[in-house]
Amino acid sequence: MITLKEALTLDDNKISKLKEQLKKSIESDAQLNAYIDIQNVGDGVPIAIKDNIQVKEWSVTSGSNILQGYIAPYNATVITKLLQSGLSPFGRTNMDEFAMGSTTESSFYGKTLNPKNRDCVPGGSSGGSAAAVAAGLAVAALGSDTGGSIRQPAAFCGIVGMKPTYGRVSRYGLGAYASSLDQIGPITQNVEDAAILYDIISGYDTKDSTSANVRYKKVSNMLNPDRKLRIAVLPKYIKDASADVQKAYNDTVEALSKDGHTIVEKEMEDPKYDISAYYITATAEAATNLARYDGIRYGNQKTGNNLEELYVKTRSEGFGDEVKRRIMLGNFVLSSGYYDAYYVKAQKVRHLIKDNYAKIFKNVDLILSPVAPDTAYKFGALHNPLDMYLSDIYTISINLAGLPAISLPVANASNGMPIGLQLIANAFDEQTLFDGAMSLERLMGY
Amino acid sequence: MQVNEQLLTHLENLSYLKVSEDKRQEIINQLSQIVSFVDNLSQLDTNSIDETFTMTNQATYLREDEPMCDSDINTNIIKHAPRTENNFFIVPKIIE
Repeated sequence: MITLKEALTLDDNKISKLKEQLKKSIESDAQLNAYIDIQNVGDGVPIAIKDNIQVKEWSVTSGSNILQGYIAPYNATVITKLLQSGLSPFGRTNMDEFAMGSTTESSFYGKTLNPKNRDCVPGGSSGGSAAAVAAGLAVAALGSDTGGSIRQPAAFCGIVGMKPTYGRVSRYGLGAYASSLDQIGPITQNVEDAAILYDIISGYDTKDSTSANVRYKKVSNMLNPDRKLRIAVLPKYIKDASADVQKAYNDTVEALSKDGHTIVEKEMEDPKYDISAYYITATAEAATNLARYDGIRYGNQKTGNNLEELYVKTRSEGFGDEVKRRIMLGNFVLSSGYYDAYYVKAQKVRHLIKDNYAKIFKNVDLILSPVAPDTAYKFGALHNPLDMYLSDIYTISINLAGLPAISLPVANASNGMPIGLQLIANAFDEQTLFDGAMSLERLMGY
Repeated sequence: MQVNEQLLTHLENLSYLKVSEDKRQEIINQLSQIVSFVDNLSQLDTNSIDETFTMTNQATYLREDEPMCDSDINTNIIKHAPRTENNFFIVPKIIE
């Protein structure tokens, strides 16, 4: 597949041919189920869009039954920015319902297959976007990352996925899951394309009250893979990863060191606390955000004899099991009698997590970490919800602290599946993040 | 911590959700397992830590008090809403 950088140099005629070709390829591999449907806006370079980002006049459903019938009445800010930069929203990609999952199996539209091995999940929740790019069915895609939902599917599919600093990319028009954690980001074939797409979608936006009003400098025209950086490695922290992931990690550290980067050993708190702080915070925010789905103003209304019955039927039949579980957990941690012990406690622990990162970044430019403890799982392997939550150990603390991170493939495991590692940078230091990622990409030659 | 039938009913009421009979025991077990796991936070000493957490230190953005409205949004929402009449949403009767 042509890269985003190359595609941006094509004339209208060639772009239109590219889109025709893409449409044919997508339709001929319907079994992959990366796309929900293919619509197009404008005459720019095609970019696949996760089903939770508003594109005006598209059906946008967060992979859920409850939003069947909803038509987006406006464009998300990232979509407006794509259109202004000569790109076109092209195709709606599959996802875990309301972005709550690590496998894309919970979608109303059925599972998406991993193009590297169709018996495996593509990861999640942005599994459709990652599978589309990895299968050569998209030039690039947008995903959203609340606890790893861009980086983990990118790692499972052997491509690049990037989560920007919280506040860097406007959330206006993103279907809200956990508002203090969600960020939209690029899923691409290589690091340079990720930087190009990141530049296009980022920047201050008055329509998002959490958008960061800080000076923004383009990164894609300043990329420097020759910069020598101080990179923190985490020997104890990787003990929960598989032997293949640990080997890939250690090989990568050796390669970075040989290339002239300075390697510094650091420690992180046991990630089991990150899991707890994350699932308390995310479910509390989800319970609040998803209260809006009452079936009155949009979506898939069920009938009831009175208002309460209508609400309960609409929500019970419209939401899938994982979404219901998280709404009830969220209402539990926010409820009278439990609020202090769970919700408030988790917010305090977020301070500890953020402070720990701040301490490490006093001394280094980047941190190298696994993305997931293993390669892509077989379908059904994460049937137990808690097992699925535990698979997020390496990605969620980054969202809790609001930091930028990029996942890129470095090696194949003994089972032939790609292994991704992630670099993590200090808040708003995306330039260093992309410089380091380009250096790593060149070194590992994946 | 163990979630029981009574707590599940309370959570259903708070959530406007109803869990079907055949799934109740399974969800009670799953919620108990998850809540017991997150209880590990009590191992951390957080006594001297601020109980609020915000992602940015900036104050909430304030804008000039000028009208900003894309009325197309209203029109399109009404057009695709489940049940409407004359620019109103229809709900079941709420006053006898």
